[in-house]
Order: sequence, then structure tokens, then C-alpha cells
Amino acid sequence: MYSISHILSHSPVTAVTALAEQVLQHYPANAVTVISGPRVVMVQLRMRESVANSVFNAGEILVTETRLELNGTFGFGMMIGNDPSFATALAVIDAALRLPGDPHADLHTAIHALGDQLSTSQRRQFAAANSTKVEFDVF
Amino acid sequence: MGYIAARGGTTAILNAEQLVEYLRLQGGSTPLELIQIRDQLRHAVGRAMNEGALYAPMLAALAVKQAEGDSIEASFLLRAYRSTLSRIMPTLPISGETIRCMRRISASFKDIPGGQMLGPSQDYQIRLLNNLIASETAESVTAVLAAYELLVDTGMSADGAIGHFPKVADYMRQQQMIAPLPADPDTSEPYDITRTAISFPCPRSARLQSLAQGDTGCLLTYAYSSVRGYGDAHPTLAELRFGYLPIQVAHPLTGEAITIGEISATECEIVSKAHSVAAKQNTPRFNLGYGFTFGHGEVKSISMAILDSVLTQAKAKGLSGESGPAANEEFVLLHSDGIEASGFTAHYKLPHYVTFEADLKVLDRAREHTTTQSQTRLQEIATRTQEASV
Repeated sequence: MYSISHILSHSPVTAVTALAEQVLQHYPANAVTVISGPRVVMVQLRMRESVANSVFNAGEILVTETRLELNGTFGFGMMIGNDPSFATALAVIDAALRLPGDPHADLHTAIHALGDQLSTSQRRQFAAANSTKVEFDVF
Repeated sequence: MGYIAARGGTTAILNAEQLVEYLRLQGGSTPLELIQIRDQLRHAVGRAMNEGALYAPMLAALAVKQAEGDSIEASFLLRAYRSTLSRIMPTLPISGETIRCMRRISASFKDIPGGQMLGPSQDYQIRLLNNLIASETAESVTAVLAAYELLVDTGMSADGAIGHFPKVADYMRQQQMIAPLPADPDTSEPYDITRTAISFPCPRSARLQSLAQGDTGCLLTYAYSSVRGYGDAHPTLAELRFGYLPIQVAHPLTGEAITIGEISATECEIVSKAHSVAAKQNTPRFNLGYGFTFGHGEVKSISMAILDSVLTQAKAKGLSGESGPAANEEFVLLHSDGIEASGFTAHYKLPHYVTFEADLKVLDRAREHTTTQSQTRLQEIATRTQEASV
């Protein structure tokens, strides 16, 4: 079962921005306060290697990040790549799902549907790779 | 010919830049689109990313285009761009076990849990030029996409698998073939060679970071030297996997792990032959080496794993792997960064008029000294000849 952030970060930008717009329809424009971003920055990849179980820095990853408040509730959005709309939409949804009283519980249904799409897509991708699985003949 | 210090050349430099652009476009071909480079030159893009140490496929595609396919120049461009960005946080530590595999093979065992999956690989093709690729059409592209659907139908499993497999190294540990993981792993902050210049002896995290951004050709050469004869490494591929690695960071408010997407990555583990076990160990075991790259970089990750294994053995004063140039950690790590190496080599193209003038003066003095010595010797011979005749 995927987490919400896993589903959203792997979903098409159009689907995620549509969800954010669905949230924003319920608020006046001044309900959103951008704290920072959207900005293109880096995160440092920390890999855990399998020889000594230690962690090392394997390089940087370019990401876009947005921090905002929706009706006073903090929201954080980050995605791999350069896409300000995507990062901002993620931040809006993050804040919406954190609002007191859970006024956007309906988002869960839509996110669940995106999760199903993601699952299907990844199963298909793996199936193509799985077709190259080796069947050994033993003499 | 006299040599003097000089300045100028701005116009010539600007014109040279224009000439580069002209040579790239003079044939009248359609300019490459970045998305074409990202998709169809994925190894070039991957190499630029892992040697530039920045995962950014579209920027890497731009770098490859701007560098006209020069891999070191492309990685240089990407690393230079990296220096303009802020790093705001590290990711949460992630293991290669979470890779959603598209390819996963082992040369150690025929039967590995989950099986051997060749995936997208050119390893099994005959190295003959394929003229069909030279004349691709919309129809041939459609045919390839249709064939993919057949592969999907062939490989679809009922269990909903998406490519997660256990590690072969874990199986080897269970069988006590390789050393167990340390009971108290190093939890200190990993060394960061982008912030602190590497010094020796260096921690393991510095070694792995350095190798991960090393030049592919250089790592390949060092690893090859060690297995061919200038060393005593006898590696066997425990596991090589290529696929998609999910990336997580800590939420700045709650600290919970949130996924921000996935990157393509290659991971490799190498075991060395049994006799290369460290001498101090009581129980003979294989030695393990680790390799990791952005994108699909099999040769680099294998080379990195071999070097990791050799350097570990050298540090442990093992029975083998402690000889040869590739066993010298300082030598390997300080000379494997392609950008540093190419930058140093390329700087010889820059004007050295002043230093060369100094060299010329030294040369003149040396010649003068030699001439004086010759004259002195001739005078001595002449004197001795005169004395003898008298």
C-alpha cells in the first residue's frame, strides 16, 4: 500500500494540480500564504550501503520545493525535477490534509484512485522486465 | 624569438564561441530536442549526471547537447551548475533493496530468490551495426511500442509484483559466506567531499562519495588493472540491479518520511575470492565491495565495487588486493575525478608565456653552462696535448 506522498509524487502533474485546484476552490485567494518557493534547490542523496551498513553521500538531486500556509496550516511540497506547479500543488494538498476537522477527506478517494493507476502502471512496467526472466535448462 | 607577457584576445574568443555554434549547426540538420537526448541517449545523460554528481535528467540532456556529446565536458557543465544551487536538506538514508528492479542479475548463483531478470540490456546482442536504426520511421517506432505490449502480456504476474527483490548479499550473509554487518554500524554524519577536502586516511563514506562521482573510464581502468595483473582481485558479481529508487525526505513540520519521487539508479555488489579474506579474520569469508551510480551505469558501478573491495582489503592488510596501484586509496581517489583531471590537463592550453619565458632563461643558462664546460674541457685537452708534444 503506497503512502499518500508516494502516490502523489509519482502521479501526473495534471492530476495533482487538479486536486489542488479542487481544494483552493473552497478558499479566498488570501487564504494561501507562500512562505518560500517554489524554488529549485537540491537534496543530498544518502545511500545506505550493504558492506558495512554505513551511509554515504551519493550525489545531489535537483528538486522543486514550496512551503506555504493554507488557512494558517503549514503545507510542504517537494518533487524531483523542475516543476513549480507540481511542488506548489503538493504543498496545497499537504496543508489541506492537515487542516483541523479534516475538511478535505474527499481527497482520499481521488488519491486512492491515483494509487490504483500507479499500481497498474508499475505492474505493467515490471511485467515487461519480467518477460526477460531467465529459465535455465540444466544438463 | 622573444617571449613576453601579453593580454587581449577578447574578440578572438567571442568569434571562437560563434564558430563552435556554426560547426554544430552547419549541416542544416534539425536541432536536437532535449527530450530526444534524455530518452534516446540515456547512457550519455546518466554518465553526465553521475560524474556531475547531480541527478537532473533534463539539465543533463542540455549539458550533453551543449558539450556536443563530450561526456567530461557535459559533467563539468552540470557540476558547475550544481554549485549555483542551494542544498536544503539530505534525503533519508535509502537502501538499494528498495529499488524497483527492471534488471537484476547475479554471476554467483544460477538460482537466486526471485530469479535472474535480464531487463533492458545490450549485453546479449551481437556487436554489429544495426542499419535499421539508421532509417527509423514513424511506422517502425509504432512497431516497437506494439512489441512492448506483447512483453507486458508475457511477463504479467498475478501477484501484483512491481520488481522488489531480496538482496543476494543478504542470502550470502545468512549462509556465512561474507562477513556479518557490524553490530554497531557507523552512525556518524557521512563525510562530504563537496564541503571538506578529502584527506587520508579517509573514512569509508568519503571513499564511496568520491568513487560515485568519479570518471567512468578512470574507475574502469583502475579496476581492470587490479583484476588483470597489477593486483590480485578476483571478483565475482554477487548482484547487479538497475531500476527506480524511491527518494524520501523528512517533512519539515512533522519529521515523517515523505516520498518526493524516484530516480533511476544502478547498484552492484562484488564478492572476491575466498583466499582474499583478511588475514586477521578467524573464519575465512568472501570480501564484499559496493558500487552505486545514477542512471544505468553498469560498468561504472561494477568498477566502483571492485575498487571498494580492493581498497578495503588493502586497509585490512588482507592476503590479496593490497598490491598494485589500485590498492593505493590516495592515488585512486585523488586521480579519479574526471572533471578535476580534465581541467588540469586542459589548462595547459592556456597561455603560459611568462612561465615559459622563465623556462627559456633556465634553458639558456643550462646551455651556457654546458658550452662553458665544453670549452673548458677542450682547453684542458689542448693544454695536455701541448705539454705532451713538448
